[in-house]
Amino acid sequence: MEYIGEHLLPGKLGHFFVVFSFVAALLACVSYFLATRRRELPEYAGWRNLGRFAFLLHGMATLGVIGTLFYILVRKYYEYQYAWANVSDDLPFQYTFSAFWKEQQGSFLLWSFWHIVLGVALILRAGRWEAPVLTLLALAEVFIASMILGLYFGDFRFGASPFDLLRQTMDAPVFAQADYLTQIKGNGLNPLLQNYWMTIHPPTLFLGFASTIVPFSYAVAGLWLREHKDWLKPALSWSLFSGAILGTGILMGGAWAYEALSFGGYWAWDPVENSSLVPWITLVAGIHTNLIARNTGYSIRSTYAFYLITFILVLYSTYLTRSGILGDTSAHAFTEMGLGIQLVLFMAVFSLLGLVLWFSRWKSVPDAGKEEGGASREFWMFIGALVLFFSAVLITGATSLPVWNKLMQWINPDYVGAALKDPVEHHNRYQLWIAVFIGALTGIAQWLRYGERNERVWMKNFVRQVLIAAGAGIALSALNAWWLNIHAWQYYALLFAAMFTLSANLNYIITFIKGNLQLAGSAFSHIGFGALVLGILGTGLNKAWISSNAFAMEGLIEGLGNDDLNKNILLLKEAPMPMQGNFEATYLKDTVERQTRTFSVRFKKRDAQGAYTDETFVLQPNVMYNRQFTEVVASNPSTKHYLTHDIFTHVSSLPKAELDPEFARAQEDSLRFEPYEAAVGDTIFTRKHYLVLDGYTKQPAHPEYKPEKGDLAFGLNLRAYALEDTLGYPAAPMLYIRPRQGGFTLPAGVGQLQLRIRLTEASMRQWLAMEEELPYQNVPMKEGQTVDFQGYKIRFAKANRDIRHPNYAPEPNDIAVAADLEISAPDGRTAKASPVYLIRANQPFSLKDEAALFGLHFRFENIDPQKGILTIAMAQASMDQRKIPLEIAANAPRSDYIVLEAIVFPGINLVWAGSILMLFGLALSMWRRLREKRVAPGL
Amino acid sequence: MKRAHIIAIAVVAVAIGILISASQDVTTYANFKQAVQSGDRVKLVGQLVKDKPVEYNPEKDPNYLAFYLRDGAGEVRKVVLRAGKPQDFERSEQVVLTGQMEGETFMAADMLLKCPSKYKDQEVYVRSEKG
Repeated sequence: MEYIGEHLLPGKLGHFFVVFSFVAALLACVSYFLATRRRELPEYAGWRNLGRFAFLLHGMATLGVIGTLFYILVRKYYEYQYAWANVSDDLPFQYTFSAFWKEQQGSFLLWSFWHIVLGVALILRAGRWEAPVLTLLALAEVFIASMILGLYFGDFRFGASPFDLLRQTMDAPVFAQADYLTQIKGNGLNPLLQNYWMTIHPPTLFLGFASTIVPFSYAVAGLWLREHKDWLKPALSWSLFSGAILGTGILMGGAWAYEALSFGGYWAWDPVENSSLVPWITLVAGIHTNLIARNTGYSIRSTYAFYLITFILVLYSTYLTRSGILGDTSAHAFTEMGLGIQLVLFMAVFSLLGLVLWFSRWKSVPDAGKEEGGASREFWMFIGALVLFFSAVLITGATSLPVWNKLMQWINPDYVGAALKDPVEHHNRYQLWIAVFIGALTGIAQWLRYGERNERVWMKNFVRQVLIAAGAGIALSALNAWWLNIHAWQYYALLFAAMFTLSANLNYIITFIKGNLQLAGSAFSHIGFGALVLGILGTGLNKAWISSNAFAMEGLIEGLGNDDLNKNILLLKEAPMPMQGNFEATYLKDTVERQTRTFSVRFKKRDAQGAYTDETFVLQPNVMYNRQFTEVVASNPSTKHYLTHDIFTHVSSLPKAELDPEFARAQEDSLRFEPYEAAVGDTIFTRKHYLVLDGYTKQPAHPEYKPEKGDLAFGLNLRAYALEDTLGYPAAPMLYIRPRQGGFTLPAGVGQLQLRIRLTEASMRQWLAMEEELPYQNVPMKEGQTVDFQGYKIRFAKANRDIRHPNYAPEPNDIAVAADLEISAPDGRTAKASPVYLIRANQPFSLKDEAALFGLHFRFENIDPQKGILTIAMAQASMDQRKIPLEIAANAPRSDYIVLEAIVFPGINLVWAGSILMLFGLALSMWRRLREKRVAPGL
Repeated sequence: MKRAHIIAIAVVAVAIGILISASQDVTTYANFKQAVQSGDRVKLVGQLVKDKPVEYNPEKDPNYLAFYLRDGAGEVRKVVLRAGKPQDFERSEQVVLTGQMEGETFMAADMLLKCPSKYKDQEVYVRSEKG
């Protein structure tokens, strides 16, 4: 079939770039490999130049792939599956990036993009290490490029192309039509991903992942060429860079989870989080052994090992998150693309390469000779690196249970899978001790010297400084124990370790490097670690759900009355609800904009005597509906930030009628509405209530009403009271007529009184009839002329082509003129009106306007262009005397409530500040090492 | 004996110790029958029985959710979760629970939902109107 309107060229071009990029990467890899093998020979330069050329070609082709895919997304070519699945016409432009890297292909391209940027930096800076390092980088690029190849060998698909056409990937009746493109629209981006975190988190994290290949490649190069010392220096700078960026990426993920998702925390030991944390831990271990190796010549083998493992763990993490194997252990969602085998191959090749080289070169790695001294810095730093490695092994082991299950089931199909009972508890229990050791070691090792053999020389000073730090650590621990809710001795150990390293490193900055902050990178990182641990203790131990009210819920609870689990509270609209922590929460109102419904919840705090304090604030958590408004797809939190703590809230549940339109309709149908009628000022009495009609409006407001041009809208303003009560609740039912769609009625509810009020077809007829029955009188006028009408002076100011009338929706070929009228009353008050005369499809229409203040109505009836006479029909009548029918139902189920979860996070800012300081320390160390290089080359 | 060897032995010893102690944190996937037998905390995978009532009345107690689950072996039992009802609960294709049996009901401490369609709608939206 010949399809109409498809743009096939970008796809063909994109596919060409994909294949080209793959081939060029392969060529770059081979050329650099041959260049490395001939590095002492004259042919070296030739092969290296070919490698460079091929790598740059690969880079340009990859940019071509990225550009083409981006073009398809921006132009919204829904014939491509990628565009159809990820963007829609109403998606704001800035989220195109999120849509780009949401899918696996896009994130592979992002990864590849950073590899290319890093590759260019290495071509410029790596000097004699260029050839071996780029060999490895290009090899990784071969694998990544293969992931998006989308070539078929028989039934086996090699890579998943981002340029597949929708009609090739899916079978739907709509594709039987040649003009199917006019009938489909994009799926759009999941609202959860429509936030700025999704724009900045993935690029940072992927730069972190991508940069781990540089230390890996240097390590392989060192082993390969048997130059076991020279590589250590450039590798260190790159590792510090990688550590800082990867750490930032992970931290952003935590901040995203905390700020924008309803997880209720920044870290959940989710497999996805774990698998990105573990490479960072081994990388930090590698940085420490690298420092040892640079300064003493010990630990070269372990430095090799850590850098190799780091990148292999990055690949493993890629495998875990993309192969779909995590299945039911992670809250994150993944789409499986059948790339599992390719990912395993990627991982296997790099692991084997690393392993084989590491073992085969074991003998050639130089020993530092004698054993390191027991009081030397290198010895204790090495122990610290081992502790970090332990941490990585433990986390990886527990996270890998699904892989283990799959392996076992492959061998024995009846194998029953194993899983952690409580992952959070498990990880916390073990990582607590890791943190205790790290705290102690980072405090102690800072005061030891490299290469120390004579333990007595420094012992005195060392003991003194460690005692100072221990004393300060105990004091700080006591101080913090006062606010921390510590209930087990293990936490005291952790608190002390954190406070000890904080004190020791602060002391180090002051007394040892004497405030020379350039040298303070490591001290900053360790202080940051201490602050982070303190923050984790605060948020973990003192995290408190204030959204519970044991008293109000008493007697209502079924089953076991376990108070700890009462994390949610029901807030009825406008009814203040006392909560834990002397807070009182009131659900004030809700507003709808696009697909987002925002709830305003006011918090007031009381003091111990029960009087209100100054502390009052409004939080605005929201929920996002899908585009059909049939279900809630995301619940976004809102947080009040203080220096010492945060108050975090999100809407955990809504009334069923608010979630399910069918249920709401059924509920509405089951109500017994009774007819009434009222004019302005009238009071309606029902059995248990009375209502006062305050007035009509033509600009009604309703949470579900979004005014559009051309609408005719009408609403009532009512106040509802319980009999024998003077507290009135506003209610504003409305109806509107939308051109070509029909009439709609939007009922109003008064939850507190369980009332439901709606306008009906009869109300609409009455309202339209009132308009028609107005006693209009035709008045011929000219521009600039003033006439008297019922005592008012009415001036025809101008015939205006610029139509501002609220009911006017322009269409092509319209001829429309507005009569700008200025009205002044005898008492001096003035008003304006602009009725419109419209010719549409050779038919004259008139859009009326009114000066509601005076009860004056105007229609623009006719134009006589020859004589310049403009006929205005005028009428004065108050519509307020006419009775409008309406319907009222009593005993309506309440649907004006939200279920709220509110959590206090004490010390959350310590988590952020500590992490940032830790990463700043890494960045500072890198900067100093890069500067050192320039000052004293060859050092 | 060199210090390196002492460290190596210590590392291996600690590793074995941790492995043994951590093995107690592991549980197996089970169905209702096995959960009754063990009486211990288990992981349970199943599907929400959509034609049986889901009980959640936030007006009464916003922390009480009861529903019926069909496990892998096809057995249906009542499950109680002492928490709020997740927004997309009814649409879930798979429910992963952690908890134990108490009498005839499964008391869940933790629930994870799988709703793949939330992230990937496999139907082609047809425009309801032009333009």
